[in-house]
Amino acid sequence: MPNSSIDIINVIESKLKDKVQIQKGQLSTAAITVSNGLHRDVIQAMVDADPYTAISAITGLDLGASLGVYYHVRTSNAFLTIKAEVPKENPKIQTITDITPSGVFHELEVSDLFGVAFEGNPLPGHFVLPETWPQGIYPLRKDVNANEVKLDPPLEEEKKPSEGKLVKIIIGPQHPALLEPEKFAVTVDGETVTKVEPRIGYVHRGIEKASESRTYLQDIYLVERICGICTTIHAADFCETVEKLLKAEVPQRAKYLRVIALELNRLHSHFLTLGHAGLEIGYETLFQYFWRDREPIMDLIELTSGSRVYPSIMTIGGVRRDLKDTDLPKIKTTLIELRKKLPFYRQVYENEPSLRARMKNVGILKREDALKLGVVGPVARGSGVDIDVRKDEPYEAYSEIPFKEIVYQDGDTWARMNVRMDEVEESINIIEYALDHLPAGPFRVKVPRVVPPGEAVNRVEAPRGELFCYIKSNGTAMPERVKVRTPTYANIPSFLKTAIGENIADVPPNFVSLDPCFSCTDR
Amino acid sequence: MADTKTWARVKSPWVLHFNSGSCNGCDIEIVSLLTPKYDVERFGVKLEPSPRHADVLLVTGAVTKQCEERLKRVYDQMPQPKFVVAIGACACSGGVFNGCYNVVGGVDKVIPVTAYIPGCAPRPEALMDGVVKLLNALSPPKPKKQAKQEKLVEAPKEEVKPPDAPILEVPTTPILQDAKSIIEETKPDAKQ
Repeated sequence: MPNSSIDIINVIESKLKDKVQIQKGQLSTAAITVSNGLHRDVIQAMVDADPYTAISAITGLDLGASLGVYYHVRTSNAFLTIKAEVPKENPKIQTITDITPSGVFHELEVSDLFGVAFEGNPLPGHFVLPETWPQGIYPLRKDVNANEVKLDPPLEEEKKPSEGKLVKIIIGPQHPALLEPEKFAVTVDGETVTKVEPRIGYVHRGIEKASESRTYLQDIYLVERICGICTTIHAADFCETVEKLLKAEVPQRAKYLRVIALELNRLHSHFLTLGHAGLEIGYETLFQYFWRDREPIMDLIELTSGSRVYPSIMTIGGVRRDLKDTDLPKIKTTLIELRKKLPFYRQVYENEPSLRARMKNVGILKREDALKLGVVGPVARGSGVDIDVRKDEPYEAYSEIPFKEIVYQDGDTWARMNVRMDEVEESINIIEYALDHLPAGPFRVKVPRVVPPGEAVNRVEAPRGELFCYIKSNGTAMPERVKVRTPTYANIPSFLKTAIGENIADVPPNFVSLDPCFSCTDR
Repeated sequence: MADTKTWARVKSPWVLHFNSGSCNGCDIEIVSLLTPKYDVERFGVKLEPSPRHADVLLVTGAVTKQCEERLKRVYDQMPQPKFVVAIGACACSGGVFNGCYNVVGGVDKVIPVTAYIPGCAPRPEALMDGVVKLLNALSPPKPKKQAKQEKLVEAPKEEVKPPDAPILEVPTTPILQDAKSIIEETKPDAKQ
């Protein structure tokens, strides 16, 4: 947890007292309403005062006559939302990328889905939607029926990609190193990478729009399917946000059961990545070992919820299934067995020469850059940035459970993987503590079906980092807007920076150390 | 020669995995098939990175509009005869994403599909069962070894089904039952 005593609201009030409207306690710490242009001044003031300031997400909103652009900014000890509005006929707003580079990708998404032009954003063109998507149709606006959109004819094949002596290597969309379809054009000079151009959107399904035409209860299962790896955390994030809207309190037992489900999810996700990294550096034995030991965790997920991949255990007001006392011994023995295997893996990750040779000093992300780019999760913690939502803004029962926040200072691929290695042990500790201190009582409460009008934001710590959710309710059975910003979306800019100047052969281990998940990224 | 080819294809199918906009759930289950607990390599199944070397295309996901062209291209690059297996509810019909603006909704709207494996996500056992069923459909049902000697004269020759047949009927063959019993053994519940 960043040790800081900056009162960011005081800073903003002292600088821009009469120009902005500050509502304390709204949307986490505060909501600040600004007129067009002033959002830059507010963010500039925050960046000057607090080095931890980064754009967590930018939400686009269709407000009828105008479009809302909400900047969700996190600082070392606060989370603020800056609300700006632009007219629908001429949606133009000045970019903030020159103040903080963490906003680049977020701006691109809003401009693609809502048609807001960010003046000065360096990257033009479609980013999330297909290249053949017709100009002038923005699917997340309320008056657009995006299902009837006819795509333009396919573009011609990319021309001979070489530029002088530089060669462009296209990685993806179908590539053995990528499990998911995504394209990266890597320009190399000899064997040195000089430029990386990402093209995401191959997995963009339009979940945010789809959730507007489903009820809150149905949305849990839709949001869960944003990603098949960190599925529980997506559902938990959504449920917590709706509970904030409902002002419902979850029973104590449900909080602990949620923690157990979330940490099991983190365990299986970290095992998956630690093994996948082995595969990427050509160390297949390690991959097989990790995935062999991942299976008992999958069995535990199945035991506690009924399904391997989609536990669907979260619901609004608690969890759907209680933990049986007869299952406890099985869970505990599995965890003890798992813990016995960890020293071996730690030994491999810390000392194995072939692994160190491929990971040490590869893809170094300096602390200043990590702060500037606004990376989250193990990528940030591997670079010495001590942010973890479980500590910074404890949710569920995390405030009652003791655990360590893992931070490495090296900033290379090796450090990022070792953060995960250490977190595996912490997760086992958390589950064991939660099982030992499981309170009695109900595991869910009845909540009202109708969600009152309002808006709420929520953050949780997914296996890959901070996961952000924003929900606006209009009092009907369906939400007005659901926005999810996933950790990989915030982490990709760091890869674009660290890959430059590296050997082309170091691209896969560097990339996998972000634990990229594109179905999360694209939604 | 045709028999030898079929024999080789059935005994060691090389599969290519293509994610057409899936949530990763099915994909991770496919990868876990290769790992020690399930280990499909003992059936000769090999995950192949290049479409030009693959016999079977495993497609997951509801096919996003961005991926549609690419899926067609991957399919075209595969040599004949080729088979497509749609894995998961999304690949079969669009699943939970049916009706989303950037989703075509089902693999069979883009390329012909040979076998469907439903489920969200299908268990690894279901995936194995699906692939084994597909392989059995490729080769004529073989009698058991003992039965083979007795019925050698009488056994009528069954034609090899054309590989492009849309959805193949699945005969219950001894091979299938063997595979099923192996699957049963690997299930964690079976031991208890």
